[in-house]
Amino acid sequence: MARVLVIEDDVETAREIVACLVAGGFRTKQCLDGEQGLKLALTDRFDAITLDRMLPGSDGLQIIKAMRAGGVATPVLLLSALGDVDDRVEGLRVGGDDYLVKPFAPSELVMRVQVLLRRHDPAPKTDLLLRVGDLELDLVTREARRNGRSIELLPMEFRLLEFMMRHSGQLLSRRIIFERVWEYYFDPGTNLIDVHIGKLRKKIDEPGAPSLIKTERGVGYVLNAV
Amino acid sequence: MQFRALWRTTTFRLTVLYGLLFALGTLALLGMVYVQSAVFLTRRVDGILKTEAAGLARSPRPGLRQRVKEELLLNGDRTNIFALFAPDGTWIAGNLGAMPSGLRVDGAPLEIPSTPSFPASARIIARRLPSGEVLVVGRDVSQLQEMRAIVGSALILSGVSILLVGLACGTALGIGPLKRLQSLQAAARDIARGDLTRRMPAGRRGDELDMLATTINHMMDEVERLMSEVKGATETIAHDLLTPLSRAAIQLRRLQQSPSADPEELAHVTTGLNELLDRFHAILRIAELDARQRRAGFARVDLAQVIAPIEDLYQPLAEAGGVRLLTDRGPPALVEADPKLLFEAVCNLVDNAIKFAGGGSTVRVRLGPDPAAPRIIVQDDGPGIAADKRAAVLQRFYRADRHRPIPGSGLGLSVVAAIVRLHGFELTLEDADPGLRAVIDCRAHSA
Repeated sequence: MARVLVIEDDVETAREIVACLVAGGFRTKQCLDGEQGLKLALTDRFDAITLDRMLPGSDGLQIIKAMRAGGVATPVLLLSALGDVDDRVEGLRVGGDDYLVKPFAPSELVMRVQVLLRRHDPAPKTDLLLRVGDLELDLVTREARRNGRSIELLPMEFRLLEFMMRHSGQLLSRRIIFERVWEYYFDPGTNLIDVHIGKLRKKIDEPGAPSLIKTERGVGYVLNAV
Repeated sequence: MQFRALWRTTTFRLTVLYGLLFALGTLALLGMVYVQSAVFLTRRVDGILKTEAAGLARSPRPGLRQRVKEELLLNGDRTNIFALFAPDGTWIAGNLGAMPSGLRVDGAPLEIPSTPSFPASARIIARRLPSGEVLVVGRDVSQLQEMRAIVGSALILSGVSILLVGLACGTALGIGPLKRLQSLQAAARDIARGDLTRRMPAGRRGDELDMLATTINHMMDEVERLMSEVKGATETIAHDLLTPLSRAAIQLRRLQQSPSADPEELAHVTTGLNELLDRFHAILRIAELDARQRRAGFARVDLAQVIAPIEDLYQPLAEAGGVRLLTDRGPPALVEADPKLLFEAVCNLVDNAIKFAGGGSTVRVRLGPDPAAPRIIVQDDGPGIAADKRAAVLQRFYRADRHRPIPGSGLGLSVVAAIVRLHGFELTLEDADPGLRAVIDCRAHSA
């Protein structure tokens, strides 16, 4: 079971985050102080860290810098009330791995931590062929196949499918998909992502069979082997 | 109008000061003329008197009495004085009854008032003769005195009239600006009392007061816009945010009471709450954009590049809604902008166009034809927005048709407006007949 270090000075928020993560299947260690959090990150082993951007006495960005300087590569999810593009860029530039703006939905937090963990798992990156059930994606020839049937994909659809296959079994919010696949950091509005998923579904699903991509209503999508 | 208020106006003070200085100058000039002419004439009279006195003094003593009489006959006893006095001061001959006190023999000339024997003011000198007698010679100087009086009164009159004219001009010139200032003050007081629709009276002259009034009016337009947005936002929070919040509360309460939670119903509550979160994010985003001073992400960007990804991103959405999406990138058009923010703005416009134009319509995204006046145009041939509502839709939360079940925060156009404001660009909504044309005019304005 993955361990997550939660560095958050507000007791209520910290309790919420811990509750979300525990419900999402993580073990957590909570820390209300930036300095102590840094000590823990440097001395103990964690699979991921959620870090409040603004802590009393120390800036979250300073903590990331100190951690990275200390050779700790643990993925960090920055939590902040500052959602400006510049703030986000700066957070990611100093070594943060993802950025979540408060207030956030609990499911979004859990999803992002899961995505972070998968991204830091080195194995899939070296794969040349992704496989989920009978769906295959060849990253070299850039071809998709299901049950031997070749599937024509547009470049954007290819990237969307690659991302979902890399994170198969994980619940992914529309926002995460928009950020990771399209690399835009704004609210895509209405059902923009839904229609892209819908188009992809039509291409990869077998007629009459249940869809590989399931919709979790109000939360997001998950790609699973049927 | 109170004099004190008038006195405080710069115009009045300056005019009075100029009047005063002018009066002083005029007084100095006239004073100089007066002094010079009076001195000249007096010296001339004195010279004549001395010459006459010397001439008479040289006459032989025995005939002197007769000479005095002759001189009086010759020159007239109304305009000249000739008189002879004994060494003890006793009158011997001539038209002066007695030696005037103060007249010093062989001294300086003296001016005397009219006497019974000589009915005009005169200037006289006295010379002692070798016999010890005293000869007095004089001339009527009333003309000289009249001239002095005329110049003197001219001095006073002109000084006073210049001062009066200065005061009058100052008052006349000061009253205008003072009245305008008072009307500006009155307008400012009305605004301070809460009437945000009130504006400063600005004339067409374009002077400094008009410039000030115009600037304040621009400021008030912005304040009024912000206030109405705040008011609109508050009202909308009551409707748009409270309604889903209370709905979620009711749903949660029902779930709490039911023995087993229905996943469908839970998902319903989650969706509602997530939409609320999105709405809050949008509000925060607009606030951030409005507060942002940094232009860190700004660079010279090609608008054609900015709108290039639109088709890939929105084609599926358009297809799903039965809308034809056409993009025409046109020639490169360079502007100073944050490409990510500008793209977000265009995305919002396209999203709105697809959403509101409805099935069967066409949405076109293109650049303006003139590269010198770069513009991004998003046009649809849907129902459009009525002319009187086009300004309102740019306000936060506004939705043209509240009863249509269209998802979204109602903040898309406000985000666009905030991004456009940050860039100093201009967003206009026009009638495309049929449909709506949203134009981002990217000429650098006041950013």
